[in-house]
Formats: sequence, structure tokens, C-alpha cells
Amino acid sequence: MTSQETLSWVISQFNDTSEVIQKHLNYGNKQATLLFIKTLIDQELYQKYIINPFFELPSQEQYHLYLTMLPQFQEVPSKEKALQFLLEGNVLVAIQEKLYSIDFKLSKNSDVNSTSVETTIHGSELALSDNLMTNINIIRSSYHQPSLTIEYYLKGEVNRPKVALVYDQKKVRKKALQMIKEKLDRIDKQVITEAYEFNNFLNDKRFSLFPQMILTERPDRVVYNLAGGKVVLLVDGSPQCMMAPAVFFDFLTTMEDDYHTLLISYYLKLLRYLGIFLCILLPGIYIGAASFSPEVFRTELMLTIAGSRMGVPFTSFVEVLFMLFFMELLLEASIRLPKAISATAATVGGLILGTAVTEAALASNIMVIIISAVAISTFVIPVNEMAFAIRIVRFLLILTTSIFGLAGLTLGLLCIIMYLVNLSSFGEPFLRLYNYRKGDKNSEGQA
Amino acid sequence: MSRFYYYLILINMIANIISAVPTILLRYSEDGSVSALILGVFLGTVIVVFFTKFFNAFPGITFPEMLVQTTKKWFYYPLLFLMAIMWFLAGVSTLITYTFLLIRFFTPDIPLTLMGLTLVLSVIFGCFMKTDRVLYTIEIVFLINFPIIVFIIFKAYTSKDLNWDFIKEAMLHVVEMPNVNAVAACIFLSLGVVNLVIFNRFFTHKQHFGLKQIIVIAFIASATIFTTYFVPIGFHGIKEIDELVYPWIATSDSMRMRFFLIERLIYVFLLLYLGMAFLSILIHWHVSVELFKFIFKLEKWKYKDLNIGYGILILLFAASSLFIILTLSEYQLFRYSVYFFNLTAVIFFLMPFLFLWIRRRMKGADKTKGEN
Repeated sequence: MTSQETLSWVISQFNDTSEVIQKHLNYGNKQATLLFIKTLIDQELYQKYIINPFFELPSQEQYHLYLTMLPQFQEVPSKEKALQFLLEGNVLVAIQEKLYSIDFKLSKNSDVNSTSVETTIHGSELALSDNLMTNINIIRSSYHQPSLTIEYYLKGEVNRPKVALVYDQKKVRKKALQMIKEKLDRIDKQVITEAYEFNNFLNDKRFSLFPQMILTERPDRVVYNLAGGKVVLLVDGSPQCMMAPAVFFDFLTTMEDDYHTLLISYYLKLLRYLGIFLCILLPGIYIGAASFSPEVFRTELMLTIAGSRMGVPFTSFVEVLFMLFFMELLLEASIRLPKAISATAATVGGLILGTAVTEAALASNIMVIIISAVAISTFVIPVNEMAFAIRIVRFLLILTTSIFGLAGLTLGLLCIIMYLVNLSSFGEPFLRLYNYRKGDKNSEGQA
Repeated sequence: MSRFYYYLILINMIANIISAVPTILLRYSEDGSVSALILGVFLGTVIVVFFTKFFNAFPGITFPEMLVQTTKKWFYYPLLFLMAIMWFLAGVSTLITYTFLLIRFFTPDIPLTLMGLTLVLSVIFGCFMKTDRVLYTIEIVFLINFPIIVFIIFKAYTSKDLNWDFIKEAMLHVVEMPNVNAVAACIFLSLGVVNLVIFNRFFTHKQHFGLKQIIVIAFIASATIFTTYFVPIGFHGIKEIDELVYPWIATSDSMRMRFFLIERLIYVFLLLYLGMAFLSILIHWHVSVELFKFIFKLEKWKYKDLNIGYGILILLFAASSLFIILTLSEYQLFRYSVYFFNLTAVIFFLMPFLFLWIRRRMKGADKTKGEN
């Protein structure tokens, strides 16, 4: 197929040709045919690097040579590729029976965002951008290794976004990489818009609670995890990226842990782990102590709780569920609301969860304190995905406690630990105390 | 040795503080318990050494796989079946004890069936996990609980109510002939090492097991047994100690934390031992499940994607343990435990002879035989 035939085939694929522009350049002994989509390319670059040289260079051969030396230059192997290049914002150039593509993509979303989800006090405030190439530029410019490998895929039948798989060839977990590639091949979806969707696409289980991949918007976390052997998945148009395999402790790490002095960072970690235990156990402990075994805690404490529950018409677990339900509603509402109204939500919610509910004797004073403590300690979990999972786990524990008391709470906790240990993220055990970096040197194998 | 190896041994020792072992030991406190302790620790350590040395020589190979390679079918199927049943019963005895405990001291208003069923259901699915995952679970739960165990033991030894004169008085009985039942109960504490029959699959590298490790194990065993036996005597005196059904519960209830949120130590103790009992049942039943899987080739019993074999096993485990919970009384449990401990002690003492046989034949064994 000649280059002209390819071009006319490409044009025939478009119904509305007003966007696709074909130009025949013909001056002296020089000839070239150009094809591009007007709205996708950078017109200044087009003018500067294609049109001007055409008139300035003396011969066809020189112009040809000039084009092949542009950094955006690419050969076009087939007509399907030609169509794809055109749709990605390239200019197709037919010259001397040869067809080339030159990348002049115009992207207005390449600005780097500032961190909004994972904010820290220390460290960079800059996050990834919405543009894939900018993101790869950010990663490459802070990870200087020749072994850094980037592979591109096109996924999603309809909108075909570019997906990039980034990993360090030397450090990556081979098994995990293999699994991710296999699962990527199996993806059969129409539209893909966000990197976060891959958490479900690459997961074979239908019902899963805990995330198997970790989501981040921070370049420093990406670099840190690349060096740790993880695979990073970026999608064009998504300001966040996914990293796998992820283990439980990844979700409880902030980038700041490494920026503090040792003792401070231990203290903050301790705080975080206490927070996570508190936020899943506290409602259960309240139910167990108030309704099942009041003799467990010291008498003065139990008298205080019983005294504050005076006049409350509910059993303790209805009380807990009632208050937790409103807290969850408040949380959800404040995410979805436009910024202008969200202040109202906070005020109204504060009224419900505050003194009004105790004055109306719908919940005890201590219950309000417990709910606030639970809410605050949920926010201590640094990665948002884990916080969502923990919120659901809390309800499961409330359920077991409502049936079996404190023994049910303990058994429930043990079962959840067992469930977490049994999970795998791309071949890595999701929860174990130590993760071995040097596979061969440890004294245990895997069964 | 790998730390996971010590977990296996330690958990069996610690978890048995709530089982019938201290009751049996204290029952014979005036007819030869003390000398039985010494003999028991010694024999227990000998068994531990034999088992560890043997399994360490064949890293990564489970006991059934070895038997397939070296012995005949008529021999290994009954043997493994017997072991599977025994390890199931070992789990059940912990389960029953703990169900009774929870009903008596914690949630008296919950029916026995419901409590037993919950415990069974929460453990049973864990038994079907892969061996390495079982060990990771053990590690996490154990490390959460361990500081509290140390605290309780520290609290016990520093308590004003612990009367060392009672302990010294009890020690005087050392001159009596060791009681057989007490020796067997004592040996049972060290039998955590038998779990290696399946858990050896995890230890794929040959490990160092020398005098130092043996001394550590002997020390742990003697410390645990000393604590198990003498601390209740120190609190309650030797006169009426054999009347107590749960000596350690009574002991933990003798301690108070005057300034803490929880005042009576018994509740910390109960919840803590719920975790330890959970682990103990998990380990025992995992071994049992794996043996049953091997004997009946359960992974092949499939209907579409559903594995019926596992379902049947779960049902059998749940139903038979519930049946045992509902029929046994605490007194019967105690009597049968005595028989059970004696049986295990005898069987696992004969085991090293089998090991010698296997060891000799493994050298020229047909390695391919185990694979089909």
C-alpha cells in the first residue's frame, strides 16, 4: 500500500472531515502531503518545524533528512497505526512514497497539581499531573536508573487511553510483574478513565474489601516504591497512580516517616497503630462493657457509663449504630457537597453529634465522646483507601460484639487478622510481620 | 532455628495452661507430681530433640510424603488416620475447655451450642489456609499477646499474695515416685513439636539445631512447667489445691491491678487466652485437616468449582466437636484428658523408632513415588 493510499484510507475512517485536515505542499522540486487533526496538535510547533523548513531547505532530500532527525519523528508501520497516531495528536507526513508521523500533541492538562489527598507538613507539596507524559517526566527526572522500564498499553475498547507500566527492571518482583501483565492482557472493558479502576480490573475476586493496590498522587512515594520493587500503573488523564503489590503496612506509612528523626517517627507510627486499633475496637468495647460484661472494667467507670446512659431508650448497640450511622452520613455528605455548602453540613452534623443528642437523651454523653474519638482516629490512617475498608470492618466487629459480647469482639478481631493474612496482593502475602527483601537468605521457604 | 519453630512449641505450652494439664498435675500434688515434673521436662525435651533432628534432616518434606516414600500403604494410612484423629481431639479438648470457661466466667447467658459453634466456625476456615499463612497468623496474634502474658507472669511472681512457703512445702514432695499420669500431662506440654509433621513443609532450608537451641528449649519448658504448677500452689496453698477445676482462672482472679482501667486480671487473662486457645486449635486442626486431605485426597472431590471434600470435612469437624461439647461434662473431660495424654505420650515415644527406620530407608528411597 502506498503512502497516498494509506492517507486516503485514514481519511475515509472519519465521517466528519472538518477536523481532519490534509495539506499538499508543493514548491519547486519539493513535495509533501500532511495530515493532522487541527484540534489535537500544537499549531505553533507545526508552523515552526514543518512548514518553515519546507520553504527554507533547498532540496527534497534535505527536507526529508531534516524530518527524520526531529525528536518527535516516528515511522509508521501500518495503516491502523497511522490512524492511531493521528488520533493521538501526531502529524502524518507522506514524502517520497514514505509515511512518517511526527508528535506535536497539544496538551493543556500537563500542569503539576498540588497535593490534596496526601498532604504532609514536610516534603514536597507537588503531586502528579493529569498528563501521562508529564508524569513520566516527573518520575524519570527523580529516578535516575537505566533499568527504569516503561511499557505502554492501550486499554478500554472505546476511549483507548494510554496506560503506562513503570518498573525498575533490576528490583521489580518478577512474579508480581508477570501476574500484572497477564491480568492487564485479560482486561476487557469499554471505558477506562481513572487509574483507580485498575484496582478492580486486576482483581480476580468479585467481593473484596481490602485494596490490593495502593493509590498515590505523590511523586516521592512513587519513587520510594519503585526502588522497593513495586510496579506503577499510570493512566493518561488521571492525576493518581496505582502501585502493586501492596501489603498492609504500606497503607499505614506516610512519606513523612522517613523525614522525621527516628524517635519522632516511631512515636507517630505508634500513634497511628493505636489509632487504628482504637477506631475498630472502641465501639465494640462500649457495647460489650455496657450490655454484656459490666464487671470487666472497674466499678467506678462502669457506674459512670451506666449513669450517663440513664434515660437513653436504646440498647447500647442501637445507640452505637445510630450515632455511627450519622457520623458516616456526615462523612459522605461532606465529600460530595460543593465547597460552598459543606460548611453547613459540618454545622448541622455538629449539632446532631454534639450536645443536642445527649440533651434529647437519644445517646449518652460518653457515646458522643466515643464516636468523636472513633472518627478522629479513623482520620489517622494515612491512605484513604484503607480508611474506607476499616470503616466497614468496624461494622462487622460491632455485629459480632452485639451477639457474643467481648468474646465476640476478640474472636472477630482474630478472624479479621486471619482474613488479612490469607489475602495476597499479586503473590505477596498481604499481612505478615516482616517482609523479606532478600528472598534467598531467609531460613524459611513458602509452602 | 527459625523463630516460627519456637512459636509452635511455645504456643502449645502456653495454651495448655488453661487446658486440663495443670488440673491433672495439681490433682497428684501429694503423690508424685513434683518428681513427675522433672521427669516430664526431661522426657519432653528428649522428644523435642528427636523430632527436630529428624525433620531438620529432611527440610521441606512433610511426614506423609516421607511415609509414602519409605513404607507400605497398609502401614501409613492407619497411622496417619490415627494421628489426624488425635490432633483433632487435641484441638477439641482446648475448644471444650475454652467454651466452658467462656460460659462460666464471661457470657453466662449465651447458650452452650451457640458459643461452641462460634468458636468452631471462627477457627475452621483458618485451618484450610496455606501453611505459611497459618504461621504468619500465629506470629501476629502471638506477638500482640506475648507482652500481656509476660505482664501477667510478672504480676504473679511479684504479687504479695504469692506465698513462697507453700511452694517450698510443695517441693518437699519431690522424693515420691513420679506419677504416670502427671508425667504424661507434662510431656504433652512439649508436644508442640509434633506439629512439624505438616509444618516442616515451611522450613525448606536446613537449620542449625545444636546444644544452644536445646538448652533454650529445656529452659522454656522448665520455666513454663514451674509456673504452671507452682504459682497456683503459691496462691492457694497445697491443702485444697486439688479441688480447683480451673486452677489458673482462680489464680488469675487472685490478682488485681489497682490503678488500671480493668481492675480484675481475670478478664485480661480470659481474653488473652481466647487468643492463645484460638492459635492452639488453629495449629492442631491445620495439621489434622492436612492429614485428612492427604489420606482421602480431598482436593479431588469436586463438583463444578465447589470442593465438596472440604465442605464435608468442615461439617464433620463442626458436628463432631459440637457433639462432644454438648455431651461431655467437666469431670468427664478431665478423665478423658488423662487417657488422651497417656496415649499421646506412648505413641510419640514410639515414633523415634519409626524415624530411625524412615531415616535408613530415605537414603535409597524412590523419590518419584511421592509425586503421583
